[in-house]
Amino acid sequence: MRQPTEPFEASPSSLRRFLHAALDAMLVPLLAVLTAILVGGIIITLVGGNPFNAYRGLFGGAFGSLKALSETAVWATPYIFAGLAVAVAFKGGLFNIGAEGQLAFGAVAAAWVGYALPGLLTTDLPAFIHVPLAIGAGMLAGAIWGAIPGALKAYTGGHEVINTIMMNYIALNITSFLLNGPMRDPDPLNLSARTPEIAASAQFQPPFEGLRFHWGFVLALVVAVIIWWLVWKTTIGFEIRTTGANPDAAKYAGINVKRTIVLSMALSGMLAGMAGAIEVTALNYRHELGFSVGYGFDSIAIALLGKNHPLGVVLAAILFAAMRNGATRMQFLTQIPIDIISVIQGLILLFVAADVIVRYIYRVRAREDRVVLTRGWGG
Amino acid sequence: MDWRRFGIIALVIIILFSAVVLIGKSQNSPIVIITSMLATTIAVATPLTLGALCGIYCERAGVVNIGIEGMMLGAAFFGWLASIYMNTLFHFSLMPSVIVGVIVAVLTGGLFALLHAALSITFKVDQIISGTVINILAIGITGFLNRQMFFGSGSVFGGNVPSAPGVLPSIRIPLLADIPTFGRMFDQQPITIAALVLVFVTHYVMFYTRWGLRTRAVGEHPRAADTVGINVIRMRYANVLIGGCLAGLGGAYFTLQSVPSFQPLMTNGRGFIALAAMIFGNWSPIGAWLAALVFGAAQALQINLQFFRELIPPQLAFLQNAYVVGLAPYILTMLILTGIVGKTIPPAADGIPYEK
Amino acid sequence: MKKLYFVMAAVLVASMLLTACGGGGGAATAPDCTKSDVFCAGLVTDTGKVDDKSFNQGCWEGLQAAKTAGDADWIQYVETTDSKDYDKNIAIFTDAGYDVIVTCGFNLTNQTYEAAKKNPNISFIGVDQFLLQDDAHPDLPLANLTGLVYNEDQSGFLVGALGAWVSKSHKLGGVAGTDLVPPVWRYGEGYKAGAAYADQMSGTTTEVTVVYHSDVGFDKTFDDPEWGATTANSMMDKGVDVIFGIGGKTGNGGVIAAAQRGLYGIGVDADQYFTMTEAQSRLLSSAMKPLPPPIAELIKAAKAGSFPGGLFFGPAGYAPFHDLDGEVSAEIKAQMEELLAGILDGSIKTNVPPVKPAE
Repeated sequence: MRQPTEPFEASPSSLRRFLHAALDAMLVPLLAVLTAILVGGIIITLVGGNPFNAYRGLFGGAFGSLKALSETAVWATPYIFAGLAVAVAFKGGLFNIGAEGQLAFGAVAAAWVGYALPGLLTTDLPAFIHVPLAIGAGMLAGAIWGAIPGALKAYTGGHEVINTIMMNYIALNITSFLLNGPMRDPDPLNLSARTPEIAASAQFQPPFEGLRFHWGFVLALVVAVIIWWLVWKTTIGFEIRTTGANPDAAKYAGINVKRTIVLSMALSGMLAGMAGAIEVTALNYRHELGFSVGYGFDSIAIALLGKNHPLGVVLAAILFAAMRNGATRMQFLTQIPIDIISVIQGLILLFVAADVIVRYIYRVRAREDRVVLTRGWGG
Repeated sequence: MDWRRFGIIALVIIILFSAVVLIGKSQNSPIVIITSMLATTIAVATPLTLGALCGIYCERAGVVNIGIEGMMLGAAFFGWLASIYMNTLFHFSLMPSVIVGVIVAVLTGGLFALLHAALSITFKVDQIISGTVINILAIGITGFLNRQMFFGSGSVFGGNVPSAPGVLPSIRIPLLADIPTFGRMFDQQPITIAALVLVFVTHYVMFYTRWGLRTRAVGEHPRAADTVGINVIRMRYANVLIGGCLAGLGGAYFTLQSVPSFQPLMTNGRGFIALAAMIFGNWSPIGAWLAALVFGAAQALQINLQFFRELIPPQLAFLQNAYVVGLAPYILTMLILTGIVGKTIPPAADGIPYEK
Repeated sequence: MKKLYFVMAAVLVASMLLTACGGGGGAATAPDCTKSDVFCAGLVTDTGKVDDKSFNQGCWEGLQAAKTAGDADWIQYVETTDSKDYDKNIAIFTDAGYDVIVTCGFNLTNQTYEAAKKNPNISFIGVDQFLLQDDAHPDLPLANLTGLVYNEDQSGFLVGALGAWVSKSHKLGGVAGTDLVPPVWRYGEGYKAGAAYADQMSGTTTEVTVVYHSDVGFDKTFDDPEWGATTANSMMDKGVDVIFGIGGKTGNGGVIAAAQRGLYGIGVDADQYFTMTEAQSRLLSSAMKPLPPPIAELIKAAKAGSFPGGLFFGPAGYAPFHDLDGEVSAEIKAQMEELLAGILDGSIKTNVPPVKPAE
């Protein structure tokens, strides 16, 4: 099969055209964010707060110092991976609500390889083998947990939305069981449902003393580029996108639609699993129960805000991370509840999803790029 | 009727109950255990049943709704808030305050449903995205307002956290509730009874009235429905709104029937399980209700296994981990959904926006 | 049209940046805590909110009491939303030059220890943190770090005995958060031991069942009133007539359910007669673990330069019977007085170890 040609080949006018297209794509999300921030400001004013002070606190807490920047990057890392996971599935016409469960399994698998493998092999592993092994195990676990609903969708028609939701609960229960039972940290001082600390050789050491910034963030950016290349520049990516856009056409074009569906979900699950694995190997050095709460929905919002494009996902993830990270300082300075961030994020999603509202307010013309993802639950 | 499915449901419930009776029989008589399990099951199944009915109205009309969770959460909060306002600021007594609370909860559910309808029917936003919007918004709004209104000097109550007036009292069904031991089952609170009644009302409405016929037509074949003069858009709006009100009643279960307090995220994923119950029950009200009972029974099992923890024989020690048995309903739902056990047939036009 | 597009986008981006960084007068009314004459106290909560009518709120009331008493010029709290933020949230106060930092909850033990080592000039109060020297904490005791701990088993023991004497069915129930948290476990074990002690005294046999909500993560275990109510109802269906709610809103849910059925509820930590008005009429007592007075006392000591360091034990006790005073016989009241005296002078032991032994 011929490689699909991309609209922006190198030519004199291509840069302008690219910028134009980029701005065009980013306009509605930007306006949505702005509108949400404005509405959020109105809400803060209504409850007697000063929105300027609040947003200044938020901004300062997110970007105001080296430490703040480092923390924002720490928050952004799992958001980027999980956002990419949802975006890849979207590109394949699939709705992955299961990032939460895939992430948890990725973390559990990475933690297990991290603390148990040297003992099993009765040998110490060098870090350059052990770290990739741990992350790889997390990716594999996530991929399997993602591929199951993919296969069920492809071969039985069971809708991935319900199956991924169910598998979130299954993952939650299994993780609880493992962390309270077989995988629980046996240290007598340990009082939590958590795994033992992973071996030093499996720890991705942070580059800067005193900051929690870790290489996972850089890795996330690299993975974003790889995903962009994979989805937009390779045959596999073409098949995923074609299957997502029109499964019937894909079938006539000779694409193995079933296999592509499984592949999209496995890829998606792999990215979510990687988010969990990085949290374990680069940040927490163990997995603890209840640490991943909320990533599932946030990642959907991030993928939508980022228009399912890796660059957009990275930007959206940094925005969400900045809000989550800066919120503590905002509360410290102004006593405005942290929960206002969830309201603003909900509004952002609302305005992105219902772009009609934003387009109407700002008189922006619509481009025909509506996605319809849900075609029933499948029977 | 899909008798095989009902057989599976009955079998699962019987197995769960027998396990608990076997373990706990040295401490309590089997009748006491079964009655207590049944009472818990029926109570816990209430929000699941109402959520599933919400799903049925929406999806029978062709609108997928994964925002049930958010609708219930929002309703739980605003209903509770209304009961406090009535009690603290307007000095209503317990019953009127709580009844106003329930009404507000139902209306809140309806309001969220209106948003879902506007987004997914009028603006043709992808319905799953629209549902996600509702879930995230509900979490944010309830969390924020809960803090802002009840805590700190800026709150309407001047920094004092007022207590909710209370919850709906239970209704003893005369005669039946007087039966020794078993009577406990007929001593239930109003929303639970309402849910039960609504199951059969919905069954009647969906399958024996013109409204139901039209709703199903709109969900199965909107184009054909349109040609015979049914207003597809209006039917979809109406059914989504009805569904939202039912989800709102399900939300009232948490703060106006179970406990008189609100907690951020307190619906705890029950809206998603309701969705599973709906699919499990093949989009039929009675089937969904039975499925909700299976989920309820699983929770009753978890609680009872912990209660009888010290009596669990060592060879069954794995049961002490409530998580292990907690998996069953989810796995069962997946098996049913994927056609490995039974077959689900969703409405044909479910999830597809209607364009003239 | 196209130009309009660009102009608008530019304006919007600019205004966004302005909203973010610009505007507004002085940020907050907070004084400069780095000055030596301004005495500031900060609170870092465990994952939870300061309005939880329970543990975190008790900590915050301790700071408020210190401010009311004039021992702190400025108090502030930061709520933890994610357990990976403990360090960051403590650092907000250390960076701002606070003089006392209270960390609320045993989950913050290690982070408080590390912060205290790094900031010898700041006094740290670790509530519920059993700060003893061990391999993980080799430098203890530190002069600027005090672990405020309680013998929860003693308070649990008292209400366990009370429950056993008052119960008509001789079946007691406890609805608790996770037993992974040692104070919760100590309450539960003390409750059982107290009931057994009462049985011994009066020749009865009382069944005690404590159900822990350990099947969920830390984010939920103390915040699930609906589970608490459902569990309590299931217990009461089996004849239990006293419910001891241990831990946050989960326990409260159980106590409220008992009150709705007209049975007995027992509160925890503070005298919940005042914080849980929904259950007032049927609240028998509360297992006391008064947080605010010792916290205020420690803040005062820090200001006066007499901060103790090491472990500081808060008192044990049980709350008055309030509305149910008439249902507790004079004999039981006398026995309870005796028991309290015995517990406090050490002549009665609960025999509950400080942490749950490994299985």
